[in-house]
Amino acid sequence: MRSVALLACAFVTLAVLGPVLAPYDPAAINIPARLSPPGGQWHLGTDALGRDTLSRLLHGARWSLGLAFGISLIGLLIGTCVGLAAALGGKALDWTLMRMTDSFLAFPELVAAVVIAGILGGGINSLILALSLTSWMRYARVARGVGLSLKSRGYVVQARLAGLSPIAIARWHYLSSLAPSLIVVWTGMFARAILGISALGFLGFGVQPPMSEWGAMLLDARVHMRAAPLQMIWPGIAVVLCVLAINLAGDALRDALAQKDIEE
Amino acid sequence: MMRGILGLLLRALVVLTGTALATFTLLWNAPGDAATTIAMARFDTLLSDVVVAQVRAELGLDAGFWPAFNSWIVPLLSGDFGNSSVTGRPVWPDLVSAISYTIPTALAGLAIGLALAIPLAILATRHPGSWSDRFAVGIASLGAAIPAYWLGLLLILLFAVKLAWLPAMGARTPAHVILPALTLGLGVAAALTRIIRSGILEARRQPFLPAFRRRGVSDRDLARAHVAPHAATPVITVLGLELAFLLEGIVMVEVIFSRPGLGSFLVTAIGARDFPKVQAVVVVTALLFVVINLAIDVIYRLIDPRTGTQDA
Repeated sequence: MRSVALLACAFVTLAVLGPVLAPYDPAAINIPARLSPPGGQWHLGTDALGRDTLSRLLHGARWSLGLAFGISLIGLLIGTCVGLAAALGGKALDWTLMRMTDSFLAFPELVAAVVIAGILGGGINSLILALSLTSWMRYARVARGVGLSLKSRGYVVQARLAGLSPIAIARWHYLSSLAPSLIVVWTGMFARAILGISALGFLGFGVQPPMSEWGAMLLDARVHMRAAPLQMIWPGIAVVLCVLAINLAGDALRDALAQKDIEE
Repeated sequence: MMRGILGLLLRALVVLTGTALATFTLLWNAPGDAATTIAMARFDTLLSDVVVAQVRAELGLDAGFWPAFNSWIVPLLSGDFGNSSVTGRPVWPDLVSAISYTIPTALAGLAIGLALAIPLAILATRHPGSWSDRFAVGIASLGAAIPAYWLGLLLILLFAVKLAWLPAMGARTPAHVILPALTLGLGVAAALTRIIRSGILEARRQPFLPAFRRRGVSDRDLARAHVAPHAATPVITVLGLELAFLLEGIVMVEVIFSRPGLGSFLVTAIGARDFPKVQAVVVVTALLFVVINLAIDVIYRLIDPRTGTQDA
């Protein structure tokens, strides 16, 4: 659990302090220094417009980590509400909401995000909309499953008989039992959001230039693959390290929570 | 049984209708004036209002949401995907040609994925917790974190640029399928290894195995006749999810390798705001998805009578 906490701190630091740590202005164009190799003045080299790659990576952390965090939270919020409403709201509402969830799941999430972001036009707002709309379904399924299994538990029935409103029951009894499973789903979706943001950036439907974003940096570097292959390596490493770290943290959390279940 | 399958069919129908409606709503509310965009894509010059009005009338864009939805969905039900709003040619032949490039890539990718994942999972479960297990799981975790587009670029860099062994761009020869399929396959393998591994471990915990072993059944026969089928069931379940992964991967891979398949078709159509083409890809993908998931559900109920008795 300590490693998870450390990781969380490292990510927050990176996302908040990234722009401060950057040695140069990420948008400062310096044509004479274009495609410089790493070392010396530019620690990771420069891109095709002579912009410092390290600074662009650090500024990009804000998009990849910060936006992914926000998007996964929006998904969590929508999904939990839909799932609990389905579990508590009676048969007709359950059927409608779950068929709606199926419809959204009936389509590969990233492809749907590409269609939505592409049709709405590039930019941060359509990126957030596209990735949030396609990332709430798993939470909804988990929330509904836990909700249904809790519905007939003694203390929930008693709370209902005692006259608590469904919203109060959801808040006091369901959310506390839901939290562990939802957090595990959330780590997975956080990693997926990072991949989604950079994938959309790579296709040109995401964060727009001149703002630096890891996927868009890959798209730029792809053209100069022969001249400066390393420029294509750095943003990829950044994405892989973040996703790997979050996935491992998710595994650790899941194991820790499963352990707790056994002990109880 | 029949009732269960009818229920599944009804559900599939509702899902398909929902997807079609959602797509149409999205396109209908797309920013910018669709008629102007299409007219610009067609004639590529500064346009008079008359031309834009003609395009609007021709495509039925002035009729309002429901008439426009009807004029799309009714021909679609008889298999008519309409005409491209940019070139004016029917969408269906182009779509078939795109699919004919995508299917070999997808199948080869799936085959590579299975060919890597099964041995890796068997290696991992030979001695659970040992270094070989950690190695296999580590490789799989790393693979799951590598985005397909970056892996594809790295493979191009290594095999096409540095070593010059394999062609990277386009689809002229059969050899052009190797790198895209490898990119997809490595991703599929990463996801499948962990699932097959836990499937095998789960299957080994079945209480009847020690009983068989005490009766003298050899470990090899046990693995073949009892462990393998048991471990295969979760794999069948996740095949639906794998399909989603494959399709997502294909969009990225086809763009990277400039393969004229379904993914490139979609991305180009979005860029050109060729809505009939976008709609066609969405409908075909959703249909494919629903049919395969339906098949998986039905196969599952046939194999394992325990599932499906209580509706989820």
